[in-house]
Amino acid sequence: MENVIEIKDLTKKYKSLKAIDDLSFSVKKGEILGLLGPNGSGKSTTINCILSLLNFQNGSIKIFGKEMRPDAYDIKKSLGVVFQDVAVFDELTVYENIDYFCGLYIEDKTTREKYIEESLRLVGLKEFQKFYPKQLSGGLLRRLNIACGVSHKPKLIFLDEPTVAVDPQSRNNILDGIKTLRDQGATIVYTTHYMEEVELLCDRVIILDKGRILASGTCDELKSLAHIEEKVTVEGISLKKEALEKIEKLKNIEQVLYGNDTLVITYKKGKNNLVDFIEYLKEKKISYNKIYSERPTLNDVFLELTGKELRD
Amino acid sequence: MTVFKAFLKVLNKSKAPIIMYTVFLIIFAGFNIETSDNPTQFTAEKPSIYIVSRENPKGINRNLIDYMKRNCKFVDLEGKNLEDAIFYRDVSYIIFIPEDFGKELLNHKMPKITVKSTKDYNASLSELILNRYLETAYAYSKVATTEEELVEYMNDTLNKKSEVEILSNLDTSHLNKATFYYNFLNYALLAGFIYVICLILSSFNEEKIKRRTIVSSMNYKKFNQKLLLSNGLFALVLWLFYILLSMIIVGRVMFTTHGLFYILNTAIFSCCVLSIAFLLANVIKNKNTVNGIVNVIALGCSFLCGAFVPMEMLPKSVLLIAHILPSYWYIKTNELLKTTERFNIDSIMPIIINMGVVILFTIGFVIMTNIITKRNQKIN
Repeated sequence: MENVIEIKDLTKKYKSLKAIDDLSFSVKKGEILGLLGPNGSGKSTTINCILSLLNFQNGSIKIFGKEMRPDAYDIKKSLGVVFQDVAVFDELTVYENIDYFCGLYIEDKTTREKYIEESLRLVGLKEFQKFYPKQLSGGLLRRLNIACGVSHKPKLIFLDEPTVAVDPQSRNNILDGIKTLRDQGATIVYTTHYMEEVELLCDRVIILDKGRILASGTCDELKSLAHIEEKVTVEGISLKKEALEKIEKLKNIEQVLYGNDTLVITYKKGKNNLVDFIEYLKEKKISYNKIYSERPTLNDVFLELTGKELRD
Repeated sequence: MTVFKAFLKVLNKSKAPIIMYTVFLIIFAGFNIETSDNPTQFTAEKPSIYIVSRENPKGINRNLIDYMKRNCKFVDLEGKNLEDAIFYRDVSYIIFIPEDFGKELLNHKMPKITVKSTKDYNASLSELILNRYLETAYAYSKVATTEEELVEYMNDTLNKKSEVEILSNLDTSHLNKATFYYNFLNYALLAGFIYVICLILSSFNEEKIKRRTIVSSMNYKKFNQKLLLSNGLFALVLWLFYILLSMIIVGRVMFTTHGLFYILNTAIFSCCVLSIAFLLANVIKNKNTVNGIVNVIALGCSFLCGAFVPMEMLPKSVLLIAHILPSYWYIKTNELLKTTERFNIDSIMPIIINMGVVILFTIGFVIMTNIITKRNQKIN
């Protein structure tokens, strides 16, 4: 599959601070690439460099096979950008805002009207089209922000943390909209620090920290990098020291944490760990309120790779 | 068209201040024009006096009384309290002619005349008239030998009248009105242009919206050109509106050469105000500060440069400071136009110099705006 974006050895410095350090990656046509990392990891800086909003010291950026420059208007015609901050005019209505930003790309009024209608439906703002931004809630504003960025039907879309501070209903709407855009054939670069969104949306993920790629691949590939296989949590359990020592000696166990009547067991590998442990508790006549098992998350991968949480 | 349409929509949201400043202009200019004195029409006013003299005055005594009655308004206070009349200002000046008035003069002495006065402008005028008579009489007393001869000399001199012909064709009444209107326009233009353009440009130049525009496929230089053109068009329409308003309020003088120069002066000044507005729009980052900055600039320039208070009433130090402001040169031109009788190279030259200074200010502001714009657009 052809590469829509090709980045090679990208380096961006702010005086002595390296915001992006020798970054190389590519984005394939039709995929959703997730750029995952904590605040300050270089996600937004990378996007700003790709969009020629920032200069960089080293490396090359190609979009649709052509070198990206501030005056590459032929490339820009096929780009859609949704920035982290809501960028709309307070003086214009929802419809007028979308019309204005769409008009920066498309001159034909009839085409524009059709596209505006589609984007209003995409983000679920049809009934709010005559509202002014000040009359909209935070979630609706985010949806308007997305509509303004994608209404001209771009082939490549950059979404920079579009769901920050959004209510669950709007978040679901936004995520559904992104899936629709992908289904319509758009290639999407999606930056976030919400791992659930990445797992839900992205075909491929790049984990960034301090401007460098820590790991990349599909969600499953990344999870396989984690040493842990399964995490079993038992709530409302009362254990004595001897009982806890016996549990620590059970097979495949990596780590046992106990406190506040909650036991968390991390397994290295193995199958039927949960069933085996339930059997063990039954056998030892140890009572509990609740028991459940979790697979490793991208946060666990990030924790293992960097020693810190994604949302630090 | 997209940019222009958005410009108009944002402008529509900012129309309230334009209406407000225009209403100010109409109210103040209209009120001033209606209530201002008309310096070309005079009503002769005489101070009110009363004369106390001996019964049946004759000779030079009679002559003085007749002279004073001719030049002042005589109020009959016979039988009334003179102190009360002065206190209640029934009369401004009371003259007590001494018994030996004629005798003293013929003895070449200045007679001592007692007076009571309200000590106001009318009293001063009465005193002036009386002194003129006394000094003339005293001068002739040196050559006259009899009272009749002195009266004859006095009548010959005091009855002489000189013809005065005013050659100026200046319509000072309408020119004063026009000057007041165009001086006040300094405030309306500064406040209106700067407020609206700063608000509109700060909306378009808001960092996050600007980024969205830069990443779009519209050439950013062309986008800026369209935005500037839209602002220029707005300024042109507002300027035309104010000129039409002046034609209604001021009247026929606007259709003369004077009117043409007022319009030209305002056109040049409007360009200068536009350049100031662009400069400020590039400097102001916060929309909320626009109102305060506009008030400081528009009111400051108007007070310092004589838009509200006539230039001649301002202290020299204030006018010296005002030289660094374009408003000063604009208002100075308006004031010059008010007194320009004929338009020839000598009378036009100072006007052209003033307009030239405003043009130089405009060029300076444009250069500063370009420097700041380029610095703002620099990609880090």
